[in-house]
Amino acid sequence: MPFASGYFRTSYARELRLVDTRAQAASLTVFLAALGAFPFVASSFLLDLANQFFLASIGAVALMLLTGYAGQVSLGHAGLLAAGAFTVGILVKEANAPFWVTLPAAAGVGALLGVVFGLPSLRLRGLYLAVSTLALYFVVHYVGSEYETERGFSTGIIVDPPALGPLVVSDARAWYFVLLAAAAATVVLALNLLRSRSGRAWRAIRDHETVAEALGIGVPAYKLAAFVVSSMLTAVAGALFAYYRGFVSIEAFSLFLSIQYVAMVIIGGMGSILGALLGAAFVTLFPYAIEALIEVLPTPERYANLVFAVNYAAFGLVMVAFLLFEPEGLVGIWRRVRDWFVLWPFRQRPLAGTK
Amino acid sequence: MRRTALTTVLAASLAATGALAQDAYVVGLTGALTGPAAATYAPVIEAMRAYVDHVNGKGGVNGRQIRLIVADNQGEPSKAAADAKKLLAQDKVLVLINSSLSSTYAPMIAEAKRAGVPLFYAGAVCPKETYPPADPLQFCSTAFGAQYDSRFAMGFVKERAREAPRVGYAAMAIPISRGEIDYAESLTKQLGMTPVDKEIIPPPTPDYTPFATRLKDANANWVYSWAPWVTQVRTLEALRRLGWKGDYIAYAHIQAEDELERLKDGDLYVFGTNAFFQDTLPVHAEIRAATHRAKLNYPITQLTEGFIAGLVLEAALKGTPWPPTPQKVLASMNNLKVDTKGLRGGPIEWTKDNHFRTRQYYRVYRWDPAKNAIVRVKDWTALDVK
Amino acid sequence: MRGAVAAQPRGNHRRGLSIQLAVNIAVLASIYALIGCGYVLIYRTSRVLNLAHGELMMVAAYLLLATASLFSGHPLAAFAASALLGLVVGAAVYLVLMRKMTGERVLAAVLATVALGILLRGIVVLVWSAQQQYPGQALGWSNPALALPGGARISAAAAALVLTTAAAYAGLFAFLRYTRWGIRMRAAGQNPLLAAQRGIRLHGVYALAWGLSTFTGGLAGMLIALDAGLEQTMVVIGLKAFPAALVGGLDSLVGAIAGALIVAAAEVLLIHYVNPLLADVVPFLVLIAMLLARPWGLFGTREELDRV
Repeated sequence: MPFASGYFRTSYARELRLVDTRAQAASLTVFLAALGAFPFVASSFLLDLANQFFLASIGAVALMLLTGYAGQVSLGHAGLLAAGAFTVGILVKEANAPFWVTLPAAAGVGALLGVVFGLPSLRLRGLYLAVSTLALYFVVHYVGSEYETERGFSTGIIVDPPALGPLVVSDARAWYFVLLAAAAATVVLALNLLRSRSGRAWRAIRDHETVAEALGIGVPAYKLAAFVVSSMLTAVAGALFAYYRGFVSIEAFSLFLSIQYVAMVIIGGMGSILGALLGAAFVTLFPYAIEALIEVLPTPERYANLVFAVNYAAFGLVMVAFLLFEPEGLVGIWRRVRDWFVLWPFRQRPLAGTK
Repeated sequence: MRRTALTTVLAASLAATGALAQDAYVVGLTGALTGPAAATYAPVIEAMRAYVDHVNGKGGVNGRQIRLIVADNQGEPSKAAADAKKLLAQDKVLVLINSSLSSTYAPMIAEAKRAGVPLFYAGAVCPKETYPPADPLQFCSTAFGAQYDSRFAMGFVKERAREAPRVGYAAMAIPISRGEIDYAESLTKQLGMTPVDKEIIPPPTPDYTPFATRLKDANANWVYSWAPWVTQVRTLEALRRLGWKGDYIAYAHIQAEDELERLKDGDLYVFGTNAFFQDTLPVHAEIRAATHRAKLNYPITQLTEGFIAGLVLEAALKGTPWPPTPQKVLASMNNLKVDTKGLRGGPIEWTKDNHFRTRQYYRVYRWDPAKNAIVRVKDWTALDVK
Repeated sequence: MRGAVAAQPRGNHRRGLSIQLAVNIAVLASIYALIGCGYVLIYRTSRVLNLAHGELMMVAAYLLLATASLFSGHPLAAFAASALLGLVVGAAVYLVLMRKMTGERVLAAVLATVALGILLRGIVVLVWSAQQQYPGQALGWSNPALALPGGARISAAAAALVLTTAAAYAGLFAFLRYTRWGIRMRAAGQNPLLAAQRGIRLHGVYALAWGLSTFTGGLAGMLIALDAGLEQTMVVIGLKAFPAALVGGLDSLVGAIAGALIVAAAEVLLIHYVNPLLADVVPFLVLIAMLLARPWGLFGTREELDRV
């Protein structure tokens, strides 16, 4: 995307605009058109990957709001996804509810859990807060597995595809557009929140809580708000996940899932919505890329058994490498590349502090 | 840049598979080769792969090779679904095989239904849909079967017990194991025995003694466990350390033969459907040779289950005339009789509405301290599957 | 053996049971305490939460398999060699990876340990495969049950675990109080800047803390493996010990013992008298209660909260 090579803003309204230049607007249109055309050329496998990416990006953006902007660490993300998915599962099984009931219900449950997950944040910070969210994750997990066993759904709860009258969202292409819309809505919502009062308050709290309080920001209220918004979005992602996969099972929401989401935020780059998207893409696609690579590379027959263990270890290795060598994440790489092109032949921005 | 690189890789792999698919039966498997559940599934998958190589070495099926494409889903539903999509769309597989946790079933079923391709569970818990009346697309060769196992085990307890059995239970805190143990508990009452205590044990537990203490305290003289091997055996070991002297009956998972020898416990009964290697059947030598060639680093005794799945797959493909389609494979699977060469008590038979087997044969083994060897306590006993 | 379940007199039976429950609590508390002191050592010196502790302790237990074949016939030598290897692995992890993470955000350092954990799990599958292993068998050591007064029983490995925990804590207390390196470690934990200015080499101290943490964790891992066998789920046991450390206070060794006792007692008693299913969540429920009432833990330092 082309960017202005200098700082040309003359009003606050201009400063707040999401799309800065005309060339940017044009390239955004081309990009959206390409996204729209994608399902008509891609194989169903690629389509599924894209759908997985959209689902992951909703969760990643939600976690980015909480951790990257408001500075509140959470290791309980999988618990919130599970809560959203189980809300759908339970309502479908017990009340045969349609999706226009279950999705808002999932959002409501998410918001409620957001308050619960957020309450410790009024007292705790950093590590201790992370641990309290971890503990809450285990409680949600326990409740979910109890429901599943007590009601006898030992191999998971089957959820039928959402339908509105004769319209049924069941094939991958329909899902692509639904999930694309959901992900896009999430991104726009996040961007809007961030350029409003609450976004500024979150950043102030992240950077220095005491100063934020001195500036007259209601710290507890904004902290809770961050948890509520993030949890609500995550629970909706969980609900969509349940519909997309067509089933709900607690085994799908392991602690590893939480860790994957934290990895998305870190690998993508803290404090950037673009980072959340890049991180989601990276973490979702990485195992498939490795697998494809292994399939192409000639592997000697006798090492075939080892390949999968290598794949498993590689994810850890790549994460370590990112943390060691690129602490700013993918978005850091992206910024450097962009600046190189935008500023060429110069090396520095004329005025620092642009986005 | 990254995206182009990925697309190139994907495109290249597409081209590579396309060239090979012409002259082989292409079969796709997704299973838990790594991740927390791998210990149960990896040996089955590796043995199956070794068996396919073995068949290919002998000239393949109907003169054609079998190409088994293996993907690792780590026991994760999302990965299993994506694997299924890739195997169906890109590799155009004739059969999908699942060797993983039950949470991976639903997304794969959805994919298999959409493509009309049969789904075959190998070494993974047989879902109810494979029992009669069976779902048209789902098949299962896995040794253990919910409900039939407990029916046999409880019958055995009743027959074997000298004094009135007071039965305790040990389940793992996963839905499938808990469901089966609940079923066994109701059966126990129907058979006129007394259930005394039920322990549901979280999967990783640092110390099993607290659970064992409760079982011992409830004064059980029989304990029945139907769970992954870890839970079964660690509960027993904890009970023995507490000085409990009752009888213990557990399902003979793939590790059972080595474990009986390690434990040397005269009152541990394991029941299962696969013949132990002590039988030294001709087919056991075959397994040994195939394993040796594939250089698998699993104990040979754990590979029977994967080998049986391989036999079933071979038979299903043998009944599929060239050029193969999923429909032809399905027709062959709907009318299948697999000679298990003594690895099971009888053939595995699939009919149009029974995709489990028409008869389930059980054997009971235990360690005999007097003979210092594993002995058969009860030879093949059939339960009809209706 | 059949029919030997003789009915004991009721009163006697009750007393036997309560002694057995006490033994169970002691064993479980020792497991938690021995694992938990690893979390405390690292947190106290370098303010890093090591979520790869479970993996490191598993690696040490797997190393026992390797040393068992190396020193066949000398189980104690194999055990000691493996424990020392654990020390080396821990220090190496710090020097290669975590040294670069000092001064990074809390979350980044925690995530680095998570990434390390994933890497270690992959390596373990690669080297030893995913199946169940029995180091006791490899060492040629059977695990007899010992009878205690009052009819209670304990396995030899569990008894060894209780004794090792006691010895490890006694050793650590002495080390931190009386030895030069121990005092350096305390200084580095209390004020890294001042410590560095007084000429203490922080990296050396941190590496030692990581080494000792893996050493004690490895002892726990090996003894659990000797008692019950070894496979990948040992990682989760490492994670379950974490609430115990936190309840006591993440920067206090005394706290780790107290926390381990509280969590273990709650777990054993709830399993026995209420519902075994609760075992999984109890440590975390105790933890939530603690975080709400006294976030810095029973014996932790209060100012810690603002520093994180």
